[in-house]
Amino acid sequence: MKEDEMIICRCEEVSYEELETAAAKYKCSARELKLRTRAGMGYCGGRSCRTMVDKIAAASANDQNRTCVSLKYQPPIRPISFENLGRGR
Amino acid sequence: MNNTIIIGSGPAGLTAAVTCAENGVDVVVIDEYMIAGGRLLGQLYEEPNGSWWNGIKESTTLYEKAINLGVKFHFNTAVNNIEQSNGLWVVYTEKDTFYTSNLLLATGAAESPVPVPGWTLPGVMSVGAAQVMTNVQRVKPGERGVIIGVNVLSAVIAMELQLAGVEIACLTLPKRNRITMKAGDPRKVLDSLLHVSHMAPSPFVRYGSKLMKNDFMKKLGVNFYPKKGVKMWDIPIQLRKAVTKIYGEDEVEGVTLATINADGEVVSGSEEHIPVDFVCIAGGLYPLAELAAVAGCPFYLVEELGGYVPLHNERMETPLEGLYVAGNITGIEGAKVAAAQGTTAGLSMAHRSGIKGLDNTINDSIKMTEQTRNSAPIQFHPEIEVGRKKILQQWEAYQSTKRESICY
Amino acid sequence: MTRRILDHPILGKIEDKNYVSFTFNHKVYKGLENESLAAALLANGIRTLRHHEESGSPRGFYCNIGHCYECRVSVDGQQGIRACLTPLKEGMIAESSGQLQTSSKEDGGLENE
Repeated sequence: MKEDEMIICRCEEVSYEELETAAAKYKCSARELKLRTRAGMGYCGGRSCRTMVDKIAAASANDQNRTCVSLKYQPPIRPISFENLGRGR
Repeated sequence: MNNTIIIGSGPAGLTAAVTCAENGVDVVVIDEYMIAGGRLLGQLYEEPNGSWWNGIKESTTLYEKAINLGVKFHFNTAVNNIEQSNGLWVVYTEKDTFYTSNLLLATGAAESPVPVPGWTLPGVMSVGAAQVMTNVQRVKPGERGVIIGVNVLSAVIAMELQLAGVEIACLTLPKRNRITMKAGDPRKVLDSLLHVSHMAPSPFVRYGSKLMKNDFMKKLGVNFYPKKGVKMWDIPIQLRKAVTKIYGEDEVEGVTLATINADGEVVSGSEEHIPVDFVCIAGGLYPLAELAAVAGCPFYLVEELGGYVPLHNERMETPLEGLYVAGNITGIEGAKVAAAQGTTAGLSMAHRSGIKGLDNTINDSIKMTEQTRNSAPIQFHPEIEVGRKKILQQWEAYQSTKRESICY
Repeated sequence: MTRRILDHPILGKIEDKNYVSFTFNHKVYKGLENESLAAALLANGIRTLRHHEESGSPRGFYCNIGHCYECRVSVDGQQGIRACLTPLKEGMIAESSGQLQTSSKEDGGLENE
């Protein structure tokens, strides 16, 4: 396996090359990069690849110096089975 | 309806639970793991005084103390959302929904990987995973492994694995790319190792009665990059080599190790195959703060604390009424600092619950946290105090903006 | 072969008396009661816990503390259970989830929504 084909997001199997290409093309935020490539949008909710995707985005994007943010996380932060969805609400 | 709920039963959460209960506040602790202790469970190192810090023992002691004080625990229970509603915090789990006045997030840290081609193969695991498998579950992660990523955490865990009879072929670097960056740069890695050498924590110095401070670190500095690497407790540390690939048909069979130049570039033709049956990835820790994020807490990126941390003050309060944080969610430090923060958070929550006369105790606890930090045998980030100051400044700035916006 | 650390120079000995039987992919194994399912399988030499739903690439546990979900299997009929967080019980039936055959676009299956 070449370095380009190396998996970054294990859940959605998004490669280093896919992320680098999208980051170079759109020079976008980490959030947009995730939406474009599906990296970090899988089963684990980006817990494993978040820091790596952030680094790729920061290396290409213009807004590198943003330190104050409201982090975009969507509940549920752990997958819920269909069976349990809606229970107790 | 509860008075206080704590999410996470690591050193911060357990200590906070004990503190609340000691002050007469009822507490429920929720954790997705099977037993109490969190990352404390796996810890095992020799203290400067020669005694051993045994994470399992520490966890059990704290847990039993909490149980005796009437703290209720829900294990194997994952929290998937929290929200504020009518002045209460609602905690959603797969099983039940909880309501509480005070909510402490003590969710700790997650590992950030350094990616290597082939790292999805079974047998590749985070270095923390190998630690838990070895010290907590008492199953060897494999017979012989390689650790990719040289830092304080991976060096300590390498020693623990060796102690349990697991062979570590070497600690080495990941191949440099736009993600691994500093972790793949021999000069930067060496700098960071030398930076922590002044603390010479026991695992670095004492094991095998070799004085690393005067031997290991000197060798690193003087004979810059010896060809065969430097040995620490007989484990080769290769700063001039990098893993370019993890190979195997269906599981790990070995790694391809290449020589790199001082800038971290691979010397072509230098690749060799190292047969191993497991590989550890060690990219360090970052604060696991997703619940603070879904609650709408403001965040700041503080590199010295390990990443994005929720805004908080020394009393462990967040800007959201009734929401507290303690432990590694506020920045990557050792278990003793996390526990000290847990005490403060517990006292703050007891104070908010109407327990009188805690102001002095809270101030003492804040001072104690600082003292614990200063005397910590292991520090994961050399500039931790700078990071702590930064987040406090942000807190002040946030409060004054809030005051202004109220005035107008 | 991967083995248990029954005696440890600092942590001491562990009790290895309470063995229970469980099955993984229809084969019977023995493990210690209340150890994690992931640990029990590793002690039996099993590293591959599932195959990726789309590519079919083999996966084992990665983080071992519930963060990464790589070790998810079905336990007693319930899917998506993290083996690293599941205490082993007598008679437990675990199965690895495999590649979803219909999800491949080349086969004319469903695309990602």
